[in-house]
Amino acid sequence: MIKVLYFGQLSDIGVGAEFALPQAINTVAELAAYLGKDNAALRTAIARKGNRVAVNTVMSAFDAPIKDGDEIAFMSPLSGG
Amino acid sequence: MGVTITDTPFDPEDALRDFRLGVGDAGAVVSFTGLVRAGGHDDLRLTLSHYAGMTERAIEGYGAAAMARWSLTAWRVIHRVGQMRAGEPIVFVATASAHRRAAFEAADYLMDHLKSEAPFWKQEQSGDVSRWIEPRGEDQIDLARWTVENGET
Repeated sequence: MIKVLYFGQLSDIGVGAEFALPQAINTVAELAAYLGKDNAALRTAIARKGNRVAVNTVMSAFDAPIKDGDEIAFMSPLSGG
Repeated sequence: MGVTITDTPFDPEDALRDFRLGVGDAGAVVSFTGLVRAGGHDDLRLTLSHYAGMTERAIEGYGAAAMARWSLTAWRVIHRVGQMRAGEPIVFVATASAHRRAAFEAADYLMDHLKSEAPFWKQEQSGDVSRWIEPRGEDQIDLARWTVENGET
């Protein structure tokens, strides 16, 4: 199982979920493509410039590897405290 | 010492007194309180969200960096999340050191990092209109002061 979270404006579009990691998915980018496959609005929102991604609460690159048990957070640009 | 993220209102004057009582052999205490501004909308509501766990850890990192860079004796960050109205305290930062310059600079450093690097997302509501707040270019310029001027990468 993996856990997917959305923060900021992305949370208006994506709904956080836990599900079994499909076998062919090994990176954040592959996960993003999978999540946006049947959802054009989410696909566009995730690809937006300035977004960040965290794997297990650590800021990561979009090509970072992911594995079963990970928590992946897609984050809109940080607006600051 | 350390960071607290809370969804209930806090009193910055209480926070400052509590902080001062735990600063050890410091000669200087500096504090900053940020308030929610109405910005011309009397009914403004500000909703701040964070990534529980990650946000706290990021702020602990800024605190540890400031502690080492300015030889602080103590630092404190309190940050509100959830829904707030104009006039409510949103952030409290305090630093303590042997001499004043270090405490001033460290408080400024912590605020610049909170404003631009910490995982927070802001939404403003006024009437029926709700909008997400985008990052401000000025905050990135403020943040860059701590790297460019000081030769860090």
